[in-house]
Amino acid sequence: MDALVNKRIAKVIKGDQNAFAEIVELYQHQLYQICYRMLGNKHEAEDIAQEAFMRAYVNIHTFDQKRKFSTWLYRIATNLCIDRIRKKKPDYYLDAEVRGAEGLDMYSKIANDDQLPEEELMQMEVQERVQYEISRLPDKYRAAIVLKYIEELPLAEISEILDLPLGTVKTRIHRGREALRKQLSNL
Amino acid sequence: MKACPENIVHFMNDYLDGDISSTDEATLKEHLKSCSDCQKLYHELSKTIAFVQSASHIHAPSDFVQKTMARLPKEKKQANIQR
Repeated sequence: MDALVNKRIAKVIKGDQNAFAEIVELYQHQLYQICYRMLGNKHEAEDIAQEAFMRAYVNIHTFDQKRKFSTWLYRIATNLCIDRIRKKKPDYYLDAEVRGAEGLDMYSKIANDDQLPEEELMQMEVQERVQYEISRLPDKYRAAIVLKYIEELPLAEISEILDLPLGTVKTRIHRGREALRKQLSNL
Repeated sequence: MKACPENIVHFMNDYLDGDISSTDEATLKEHLKSCSDCQKLYHELSKTIAFVQSASHIHAPSDFVQKTMARLPKEKKQANIQR
């Protein structure tokens, strides 16, 4: 896989934009999934995933081909997601307008310590509830939990993606797990 | 009630990370047999993980590649033509 990707990258560097389409093809679903689970919103996930590919394309010459391409790509994407989450926070307090069009939008706008009333939680579909609970995690823990349990990546890889020491990644996963456990205490 | 050894929580985390030595694992399992509080915590954490993992895998929209390619800067295309 890596050799294949590196061949494509070499072509992209030579100016072959079509070779990049093959790279997008290969990683689109995983990258989109990371963004979706981080942001809890389809439109934003699409926007950020495209932005991540765009940045990868523009900076492709800086990618060290001895490393794993997916790690580099996921790092670009998680950084963009975290930036987006942080930018969104102040908006939420000022922005009274919560449109119901997306279904999950409003959950992703809820501050972490707010909890919906028990009855509403009980009526949620499992899939909706999973996304709601992930969205309530502080972004620090959210990234680690998504990479570990949704993408099922090894800890060493998560540590590279998040640019954090292995010990810190473990701590974030442990705390994220514990936070989720508390959030789910009524399940 | 006697307080549980502090390392039990560490062992539990190591175990859930899939990164535990066999001696620590034995210690943990021995402790879980006799401590219902730790057992409860362990089950809740396992349930939490299963819950997150029940998230279905989702796919990018069908026009994702196309849309992404349309967003790429055009200069490189031109450079390609010049070559």
